[in-house]
Amino acid sequence: MSNYDSNSGNGIIEIKHLGKVFGKHEVLKDINFSIKEGDVTCIIGASGSGKSTMLRCINLLETPTSGEILFKGKDILKEKNVAAYRAKVGMCFQSFNLFSNMTALKNCMVGPMKVLKKSKEEAEKEALFYLDKVGMSPYIKAKPKQLSGGQQQRVAIARALAMHPDVLLFDEPTSALDPQMVGDVLEVMKKLASEGLTMIIVTHEMAFARDVSDRVVYMQDGIIWEEGTPEEIFGNPTKPETRDFLSRFRNM
Amino acid sequence: MAKGAGTTLVIAIVGTVIGCIIGFIVGLIQTIPVNQNDSVGKKILLKIVNIILKIYVEVFRGTPMMVQAMFLYYGAMILFNINMGMWTAAFFIVSINTGAYMAETVRGGIFSVPLSQTEGAKAIGMTHFQTMVNVILPQALRNIMPQIGNNLIINIKDTCVLSCIGCVELFFTSKSVAGTYYTYFETFTITMAMYLIMTLFFSWLLRFVEKKMDGPAEYDLATTDTLAYTSGTLTSPAKEHVDDRGLSDRHE
Ligand SMILES: Nc1ncnc2c1ncn2[C@@H]1O[C@H](COP(=O)(O)OP(=O)(O)OP(=O)(O)O)[C@@H](O)[C@H]1O
Ligand SMILES: [Mg+2]
Repeated sequence: MSNYDSNSGNGIIEIKHLGKVFGKHEVLKDINFSIKEGDVTCIIGASGSGKSTMLRCINLLETPTSGEILFKGKDILKEKNVAAYRAKVGMCFQSFNLFSNMTALKNCMVGPMKVLKKSKEEAEKEALFYLDKVGMSPYIKAKPKQLSGGQQQRVAIARALAMHPDVLLFDEPTSALDPQMVGDVLEVMKKLASEGLTMIIVTHEMAFARDVSDRVVYMQDGIIWEEGTPEEIFGNPTKPETRDFLSRFRNM
Repeated sequence: MAKGAGTTLVIAIVGTVIGCIIGFIVGLIQTIPVNQNDSVGKKILLKIVNIILKIYVEVFRGTPMMVQAMFLYYGAMILFNINMGMWTAAFFIVSINTGAYMAETVRGGIFSVPLSQTEGAKAIGMTHFQTMVNVILPQALRNIMPQIGNNLIINIKDTCVLSCIGCVELFFTSKSVAGTYYTYFETFTITMAMYLIMTLFFSWLLRFVEKKMDGPAEYDLATTDTLAYTSGTLTSPAKEHVDDRGLSDRHE
């Protein structure tokens, strides 16, 4: 069905010596890490440390300047069909990025219909399933601008899920939300985590990161400073920088 | 004179419609993104086409339609020995003139749709073309409806310059009626009124169309029927997918 089925490496995504330079600004410096299938990896770090850039590189929204990104053992930077790859590695954004000309339902149908070439009936059935999963089924007829931020984000998650991604990337999915809506979205993501979806989540929600992730990555200045289990990173960080950063979130 | 008014309308409407189509095609071509890993041939071809389109837009926006009419009509006659005839000439000139204006408008319309939606579309694996057709153009069209209306109204009025190449539209017929009966003031009072009625009618019609395009201001919450359908008949539409990833196939 796809050209990604043969799995040669150990991680579903392996990042090797990834570098990204904007003009003269070196935003990512020699990033190395690998994502195991079924794992939830949270990426934390200060503003400007390159978290979004790294996530966008994984989805090829930015083109890395150096290094390799292997998806199921194949280097995606050499991949001609970028769209086909993106269909397997979905992304949810801080600003939701829903299509404003479509209802919630249509937002979740257009990808499966146009990209996966599903029939309208099948796409609708699945869209309803995923919208229900994120608790948005009453709002299927609403346009994005008629929904609150938390509701839009849940639709965006349903839209991504409807593509049956192998990996889902989240870039600060709750940062643009009012506090009372953050919970709804995190709840949905916890559910996905418990179902075994492979996720990479950039977040400032430390309690959430501690609770759901299998691995936590701390980034600073375009470098992966420290990584480990949530217990290691939150309980007993080895680097002073990590400790420094986490000390700002003592309310957790 | 009524016949002249009819001619004016037909020319204005056909010219605007074809002009919009030209504008959309030109605008679409001008906004094709070039990627680093596109072939050299594609890049050069795109560059050449874009230069030609740019010249077209600048020439036809930067000269009066009356002069264009004379230039093309007599040019065709003298250089190529073609007599275009009234209708062909009129449609051709109005379309090509409107197309040049619309090209810029469409480009603006495309840029008016937030980039975040393009990224949203990319993230679910949609190609540039799919994104344009399903997401960007519908919104661009809505955003430029006021300009399309403007263009139609300008065209209704400006077809009068076509009388210079012998096009028997409203202004031409008015002039001959006035000349025949020596009733200049009376005739042109009626002519004024006829132009005004036509333009007022179309402003109203286009507002109406815009409202229709916006869709309802409210949305219905999905009824219990739909919800029963959702949760009742949909255990898991993506059974095999869910299974091979170990996701649970229950959802509350
Ligand atoms: N398109 C771009 N052009 C130039 N510089 C960029 C671009 N995108 C990001 N940068 C720079 O890269 C650096 C890292 O940005 P990035 O958005 O990855 O940070 P971040 O860790 O996601 O921060 P935040 O927590 O605020 O979202 C910043 O200094 C930013 O100015
Ligand atoms: Mg960021």
